[in-house]
Amino acid sequence: MYDVIVVGSGITGGWAAKEFCEKGFKTLVIERGRNIQHQGPEYTDMQMPWQIENRNKVPEIFSEEGRYSIIERKGYFKNATKQFFIDDKEHPISYPKESPFKWIRGYQLGGRSLTWGRQSLRWGVKDFQANEKDGNGVPWPIGYDDLAPWYAYVEKFIGVSANKDGLDTLPDGVFQKPWEMSCAEKFIAENLKKAYSDRHLIIGRSANITEPTKEQAELGRGQCQARSYCNRGCTFGGYFSSLSATLPAAKKTGNLTVVTDSIVETVDYDDKSGKATGVTVIDAHTKEKRQYRSKIIFLCASALGSVQILLNSKSKTFPNGIANSSGAVGHYIMDHFSGVIANAKVPGFDNKYSIGRRPIATYIPNYRHEQKDDADFIRGFGFQGTAQHRSNTGTTAKKVGIGAEVKMNSNQPGPWRFRAIMYGEMLPRFENYARLHPTEKDQWGIPILHIDARIRENERKMIKRAAIDIKEILSAGGCVDIKINEFPETKPIAVGDRVHEMGGACMGEDPKSSVLNKWAQSHDVKNLFVTDGACMSSCATQNPSLTYMAITARAVDYAAKLFFKGLL
Amino acid sequence: MSKINISRRLFIGASVYFVATPVWASIFNTVNSLSVFSQNGRFFTAKEMTILSDVADIMIPRTDTPGATDAKVIDVLDALMLSWAGSETKQQYKFIIKQIGLIAQSSFKVNYQSASRADRELLLNKLDQLSFVERSTELSKSYRKLKEMIFHIFYTSEEANPNFMLVPGTYKGDITKNKMELYNVKKRVS
Repeated sequence: MYDVIVVGSGITGGWAAKEFCEKGFKTLVIERGRNIQHQGPEYTDMQMPWQIENRNKVPEIFSEEGRYSIIERKGYFKNATKQFFIDDKEHPISYPKESPFKWIRGYQLGGRSLTWGRQSLRWGVKDFQANEKDGNGVPWPIGYDDLAPWYAYVEKFIGVSANKDGLDTLPDGVFQKPWEMSCAEKFIAENLKKAYSDRHLIIGRSANITEPTKEQAELGRGQCQARSYCNRGCTFGGYFSSLSATLPAAKKTGNLTVVTDSIVETVDYDDKSGKATGVTVIDAHTKEKRQYRSKIIFLCASALGSVQILLNSKSKTFPNGIANSSGAVGHYIMDHFSGVIANAKVPGFDNKYSIGRRPIATYIPNYRHEQKDDADFIRGFGFQGTAQHRSNTGTTAKKVGIGAEVKMNSNQPGPWRFRAIMYGEMLPRFENYARLHPTEKDQWGIPILHIDARIRENERKMIKRAAIDIKEILSAGGCVDIKINEFPETKPIAVGDRVHEMGGACMGEDPKSSVLNKWAQSHDVKNLFVTDGACMSSCATQNPSLTYMAITARAVDYAAKLFFKGLL
Repeated sequence: MSKINISRRLFIGASVYFVATPVWASIFNTVNSLSVFSQNGRFFTAKEMTILSDVADIMIPRTDTPGATDAKVIDVLDALMLSWAGSETKQQYKFIIKQIGLIAQSSFKVNYQSASRADRELLLNKLDQLSFVERSTELSKSYRKLKEMIFHIFYTSEEANPNFMLVPGTYKGDITKNKMELYNVKKRVS
């Protein structure tokens, strides 16, 4: 019997483990994927480009066999990183043909904390108010003020390098020294300051440490070395992951047990006591089942992973899945979406250069919390962009031209160019859902998920406006030769593509319409908490991981207090 | 110079799937600036290695900086054929090598290895141009795929990246060329 079971070892599971262990709880972390050693042989960050197997090309047999189909074209899926992503052929999901869903996963100790983008952005006051304001989704039972101290708590531990920008829409936090902007980015930023009061280009806020604290150093973490090899695993511990930070902190307490290669099939529930009693797992290799018992259970299995477990955990009290008296489990599935990519020349600076590989982009925060006259949609969008390096003439690998002269003109510095991609807020809709497939099961006998979540009219209208806005912003920023790629209405946009899938067990005041209360505690089962992306009632525009971590730390604090009072 | 003869039949009609796996005789030839492989590779035969190596060298010659031969591009490619290449790529590369041979024979009345360096350069330049104009033929697709891989191997090589820093230390986005060159010499940004 454990005090706590944490399901999942990713960005929230690691936090739950750390917090509980540090409070003295005997904590079991159950990870469905394999064990990975921090700084171990699966990290490829210390390999030169010519040392990486296959010169970093993924074996073509994957494509021939229909493996890794949803991820094969992604820039981050290379031979040096493929070990950190699952093959969707082995882990199928179901979705309507006309609205494919992308569920990009990493089944290993640390989960997707090994490969995340590290953009660490707080939500603002208005982000938490959006559902109540426009009537979409379930109103958040918490606001910025509830989470602010936990954002600070998390930022201090993980290490966020950022600038204090003084923006209400993107509150400042506890920061280390920010990364530099390039001369081109500074030029745009300065021009935007002159042109707008509400549109800003700022340096991104990155979970890559620039000034290691004593606590970080004691965990074996070092300063980020500007390599941008984060998703190969970082031998320096320069970026935050479960492996580099939270799990080592948990382990130091002596209270942590980790079990890998174990897939949680159900959260087990005692109808008489009204409590969750533990979990049943299936061994990933032998397929044998076993149970673990605990007093408290935290689901941190990723949004859809937790939803799958909840729905599959049926009992007399919960015939539709544990904690699902509301019928809301599996609903309000969201992701950020894009639909606009911009590219513009920044004139001048021909005698300026850059060096090093900055691990974070710049950011234009959402400025459309209040609907403006030119908007026929609600909510808003931000942009992530970069002109970190000058453009390059490239080579003629895919163009006409061979020989000496062509070679000498290759890879020469070109002008500075700024590229930006839109991140839009998808409305929370009940009809965007995930449920258990009625007949299809995975190789462990667990029903696979069927996910039907779509970009709809509001999102399409947002794309149209974002295309106009970014052109105007870049022009005001002093850019020329502005090229906008706006996805046409007919082009499908797969939900899940931004890898920020969330929702499915949303927080809310009313147990009839939500799954979790303001502490991410199940309304129905008091010793069950869900603190990964499933708990999100809306998705705002900011990268969500910092918010997940803050919600987790806060929930653990609450659960621990309840436990010590004998209330769990 | 000989006129390059890439017949319509060759350019449009040849199907990669029609070509049987060739059996190449071992030839030892040091004429015309041609590096000749005397041993089979792991995947390619010695003759194929010889032709491929020459193709790569013409595509990316040594200038004031190393070229494809210096970077041993074809040795690397030969190894990648076993660990990276799928069945289609394997067929395509075998196919394009054979087609280059046929073009040479058709144009120069000698095999590729016996043609002059100037003629071989002419052949490849012509093939390169045509392959990006008419993109749908098997010859075009195979050539472009080979070219892309040769370029990828070269431009990820140590020889092509003398200033590569595994551990820069930090990022600076507003420096002069002199400063950049200083950091490159130090192999560190500090």
